[in-house]
Amino acid sequence: MTIKRCLISFFLFILSTPAFNQMVYEFADPMQEKRFYSLISEIRCPKCTSGSIASSDVPVSRDLKNKVYELVLDGSSDKEIKQYVSERFGNFSNYRPALEGSNYILWFGPFIFLAIILAIFFIKRRV
Amino acid sequence: MNQSLRLLIIILPILVIGFFAKVLLVDDDIHFSNFESKNFPSFELNDLNGDPVNARSLDGIKIVNVWASWCITCLVEHPFLTKLAEKNIQIIGLNYKDSDFKANAWLERHGNPYLLSIYDPRGDLAFDLGVTGAPESYLIVNNQIVGHIQGEMNQTKWETIFLPLINEAKQGS
Repeated sequence: MTIKRCLISFFLFILSTPAFNQMVYEFADPMQEKRFYSLISEIRCPKCTSGSIASSDVPVSRDLKNKVYELVLDGSSDKEIKQYVSERFGNFSNYRPALEGSNYILWFGPFIFLAIILAIFFIKRRV
Repeated sequence: MNQSLRLLIIILPILVIGFFAKVLLVDDDIHFSNFESKNFPSFELNDLNGDPVNARSLDGIKIVNVWASWCITCLVEHPFLTKLAEKNIQIIGLNYKDSDFKANAWLERHGNPYLLSIYDPRGDLAFDLGVTGAPESYLIVNNQIVGHIQGEMNQTKWETIFLPLINEAKQGS
């Protein structure tokens, strides 16, 4: 009987350990909660090949999520938070790069490429 | 016209493939040589002996190396840092998310190439520096971050990234 109880306690403990890994972010304002989850899905995990900090559990992503949480509660705007992160981790950290400088190639490159292909296609048809 | 179009159809895919091959195959570390310089973040922390760190410690040309006793790659790069220190390269440690007891024991065991080690147990200064994990190294010239290496510091990275920047800084002063 005692062994059975011990085993049950042991398995319950093992099953409960993932709960310790999950950081729970609590918000009084649902709008802030919405902003928080939208922001962490737009900030790239600096340690990963690809993926946002929302989908990553590496220590630096955890630190970033905690910081974003803190800044959202402090009343910082989305723009201020993204700037705060990119000042430290570079423009690379933003999944939606700003429309400036060399980023123009990133935003318009595919359309220019498509236009060239279409131009070739139509010129070729005419010939 | 037809001839040049055919040529374009052949050349264009080659250019596109060439572009992607360059982006994908070139070593990741290279882009850090184009690091945008910025001021070293302000901080109020102690060193591993418990003494407050003076901001003037970052005057001149310094390497700030992020390390921890739990970091295996730090141990791999340690002999190279020791070699640099022996050549009078001034290295300041940034002890990252560690305990001072373990960090001091680690230095005693493996040797201490650092002028001093800033003790950053919560990783606050490291966060402001944009550290993604240990080890990382920053090249500081008069409180300005001018270079950054992620991961293990070795001879190749030293020669291709930091050394040209150090020579440039020495010429400028």
